[in-house]
Amino acid sequence: MFRDVAVSLDPTVSPDPTVLDGFLAAADAHPGRTAIADDGRSLSYAALRTRVRAVADRLGPGPGVVAVPAIHTPDTVAGLLGVWLAGGAYCPVDPAFPAARRQAMLTAAGCQIRLDPNLGGHGGAELAYILFTSGSTGEPKPVLTPQAAIGAAVRSVRELFGLTPADRVLQFASLSWDTCFEEILPTLTSGACLVFHPDAYAGSFPRLLRMLDRERVTVLNLPTAFWHELVGYLRESGQPLPASLRLVIVGGEPVRPARLADWHALPTGGRPRLLNTYGCTETTLITHAAELTAAGSGGSPAAGQVPIGRPLPHVVERLSAEGELLIGGPSLAAGYRGLPAATAARFVTVDSARFFRTGDRVRRLPDGSLVPAGRIDQELKVRGIRVDPAEVEAHIAAHPAVGAVAVTGVRVADHTVLAAYVIAAGPHTDPAGLPASIVDHLRGRVPAHLVPSRIRVVERLAYTATGKLDRRRIEETLA
Amino acid sequence: MTVDAVRDIFRRVLEPDASSVGPPGVGAPGIGADSDFFALGGDSLLATRVLSAVARECGVELTFDDLLRAPTPAGLAGTIARTIASVPR
Repeated sequence: MFRDVAVSLDPTVSPDPTVLDGFLAAADAHPGRTAIADDGRSLSYAALRTRVRAVADRLGPGPGVVAVPAIHTPDTVAGLLGVWLAGGAYCPVDPAFPAARRQAMLTAAGCQIRLDPNLGGHGGAELAYILFTSGSTGEPKPVLTPQAAIGAAVRSVRELFGLTPADRVLQFASLSWDTCFEEILPTLTSGACLVFHPDAYAGSFPRLLRMLDRERVTVLNLPTAFWHELVGYLRESGQPLPASLRLVIVGGEPVRPARLADWHALPTGGRPRLLNTYGCTETTLITHAAELTAAGSGGSPAAGQVPIGRPLPHVVERLSAEGELLIGGPSLAAGYRGLPAATAARFVTVDSARFFRTGDRVRRLPDGSLVPAGRIDQELKVRGIRVDPAEVEAHIAAHPAVGAVAVTGVRVADHTVLAAYVIAAGPHTDPAGLPASIVDHLRGRVPAHLVPSRIRVVERLAYTATGKLDRRRIEETLA
Repeated sequence: MTVDAVRDIFRRVLEPDASSVGPPGVGAPGIGADSDFFALGGDSLLATRVLSAVARECGVELTFDDLLRAPTPAGLAGTIARTIASVPR
């Protein structure tokens, strides 16, 4: 599945129509169809297009980077498409984040319409959006995604999901993460219906299942960790999956073989179709997918191998000698805004083509599909969200009563939570009150997923020969 | 559902796996009637387990927001009792 790099990046190949063009074409083709269903209310393609135009008119031409509150409403979708129609770039900001974090994001994202020329590579490409990933310095890293990247990814995803105007796709993902674009953009460029409903976010499986049935949802995209919990609930309760559901997509972290076996043992058997997906914000939506059929899908779930599958048609895949997965092709981000060193470290040139170093180690199965095999660095997945422990350490180390800190992941009830081990700054610190004080300190600075669930005050921490914290040896210091 | 029954659910959900690869000594601390689920290390994902267990054991379907508003065994038992009382049987 190796595509010719030179061909796929040839600038003389005419670019894909943009996602915005795809939406406008769908609105022309299906003006009366429902574009968005929102808890009983519905918005037609024609009405959504009117709202999109109103947003663009209000912004005026060339608004640069536009911050939009990331809340689960049709207005956010109209805002996204309206920013694009005006020629701007979209930057979602979660109102639930602390004010200091939101300010840091707005500053890091800047206010410009063109990509930074000094990032190189894709100079002059129109910027579609800016999202953030965890950065080791404690500051969020702004990822610059060009229109051409999201255009290429949306086209592959639409084909992979087999979307038609008859589909009803639930909007589940947080509007701060790029998974939401996987729900919104393929849907609204297919003439299908995007479904918003408060029961999607209520945390109650009985409510979720009833809502999916009532709203006749056909496509459901879930973080793998949440899907693991759903499978556990379905098995214990004996509740059936809604008959309308034809496709379930999971992604964000490795699928647990035991949960996959539970899924296939449900009374619904091989229905609906189940896709395991893989991707990074820097490579736009998903780059790999595997059909997880009951008959086996190339991997051997019993041996702890649930594949992430093969590259999508737009993706160039490469494995380094260490087994690290490198991604090339038109869906690469332009880099991290204002961070040339971080950009150069992760966006590399191999055989004169540009690749993103994912940091994920993979193994290739005999059939060519890939299985995840851990990280080459310390990055963790917490509820499907990438967390660099060094970012959390940087924020905790800023607490005046903290002398040293190590952050790692521990498994609680089948999933990863953050645990912090801290050494008090001096003999006068009250160790009993320190964890609560650290939590208060963090809540004012970082989003909830970066606040450790467990904080423990310790006497000493392990260091490597080069003076870096040795997270692998934390156990020894606690023994 | 009694406060003790809710506390048992908290304990089951927050107990680290025996197969934990993380460091020892980070087990959930003692859980009392007034212990806050989120302060004990609970998150939105673990919350789905609490809500599913409550639904299974007493038939009351609470939401994540209910747990946010009453995150202790005593508080959640109160919410459950009020929900049962408000539903005509």
